[in-house]
Amino acid sequence: MIKGLWDRETVALMWLVAVFPLAIVWIHHGGLDAVGRLIFFLAVAGFWHVIFMLVRAQPPSWAGVVTALALAILAQQELGLVPLLIGTSFGVVIAELVFGGWGRNVLNPATVTLAFLGFGFPSAPWPDIIVPVGWAAIPVALIGILAGVMSLRIVAGAVLVLGIAWMMGLDMSETYPALLVGLVLLVCDPVASASTALGRWLNGILFGGLAAMFLAYWSEAAAVQIVVSAALLASLVAPILDEIAIALWLARRRRRLG
Amino acid sequence: MAASPRLWTTLTEPLIRQNPITLQILGICSALAVTTALDTALTMAASLTVVLVLSAGIISMIRKMIPGTIRLIVQITIVASLVIVIDQILQAYFFDISRRLSVFVSLITTNCLVLGRTESFARNNPPLASMVDALGNGLGYSLILVVIGALREVLGRGKLFGFEVLPTVDQGGWFTPFNLMLLAPSAFFMLGGLVWAVRSALPEQAEPIEHTPPEVEEPSR
Repeated sequence: MIKGLWDRETVALMWLVAVFPLAIVWIHHGGLDAVGRLIFFLAVAGFWHVIFMLVRAQPPSWAGVVTALALAILAQQELGLVPLLIGTSFGVVIAELVFGGWGRNVLNPATVTLAFLGFGFPSAPWPDIIVPVGWAAIPVALIGILAGVMSLRIVAGAVLVLGIAWMMGLDMSETYPALLVGLVLLVCDPVASASTALGRWLNGILFGGLAAMFLAYWSEAAAVQIVVSAALLASLVAPILDEIAIALWLARRRRRLG
Repeated sequence: MAASPRLWTTLTEPLIRQNPITLQILGICSALAVTTALDTALTMAASLTVVLVLSAGIISMIRKMIPGTIRLIVQITIVASLVIVIDQILQAYFFDISRRLSVFVSLITTNCLVLGRTESFARNNPPLASMVDALGNGLGYSLILVVIGALREVLGRGKLFGFEVLPTVDQGGWFTPFNLMLLAPSAFFMLGGLVWAVRSALPEQAEPIEHTPPEVEEPSR
């Protein structure tokens, strides 16, 4: 991915372009509050990117903007500034910047921040994702897939499993917006998701399966909480899924070529 | 006295430069478990330091009589006896804290730090030097425990030694207690951050890089 036009920042910018529909719909419905939240997260993430640029000469990345947007949409409400500041700093620094910046991280910084806040402040209410914002995730997935920064396989795998669960009678009428938004903002992160063909299928299927299981059995959890937990576990497992895909490919190749 | 500068370095080296927790990553199991509040952290630190110093002294005194083949058994017997004494004292005089520390005082017996110091230092050095070394290591351990314990109690409950420092929301203040700080992962995060801070300040502690990333040409624009 270092030849020609496609370097790290092109991927980040394309991802940013892809999430624009979601951002616009969300700001349109959230008004000034939403803008304020977004600016706060942009400032915190940007601050750490700049600090790491000054101290470690790591170029800041546009991916920080997507992180800030995901946090603004999905982070718990009524938390106060200090907890959000601690949580965002933790996620952005520990999950992304200490590894050498975006592209070398294992987990999505937004997922880590949300999980951190979820464990740290279990009583704070999670936001409700309204239906139009959920629908806006569909153009995001389309643009992302067409631009080549999101994987059709991950989206298809997740949608497939959730579709089967829906046909088997799982009630998703109130949770599907959160599932769609989490899928495009957290699970489809081009860095933190699997990167082989089979691994991507498995990654999507795993996310869908975990989300369906949590929806069915974790009765007191909010929709966003379920999505964040499933996304965290799925992206933790993603490297193993890639390993499995590569091991299978090697075994097949060895059998064919001797 | 000619030996005193050496004793002084033996005492001060393990505080930061050779700290058993942040450099050697020894004894972290108890460091993670007992640091949810400052008073348990202090009690644990004091107990461990006492056990460490006494066991180092005793083992060093009889070091020439311990047969090499059964030395671990002898060392563990001595350490375990001291731990039982400490445990009984805590139960007698500080029952509440001892109940909150639960098994971790008894587990000092198996603390890597104690056996590490007796095995590597007390076995080969005279009693005074061994006890000074043990004291230094005990203080180094205590330092980390107190720092982490204080941070976790303040951030997790808004209190210090059970007294309110930051007024919490339930009491009508402004501080939202950070529940994660009372769970084990936060101790890992704090310890990690502390190791990072110490190694940034003292770069000679950092381990050599395991592999170098390949040099890539940045595309020219």
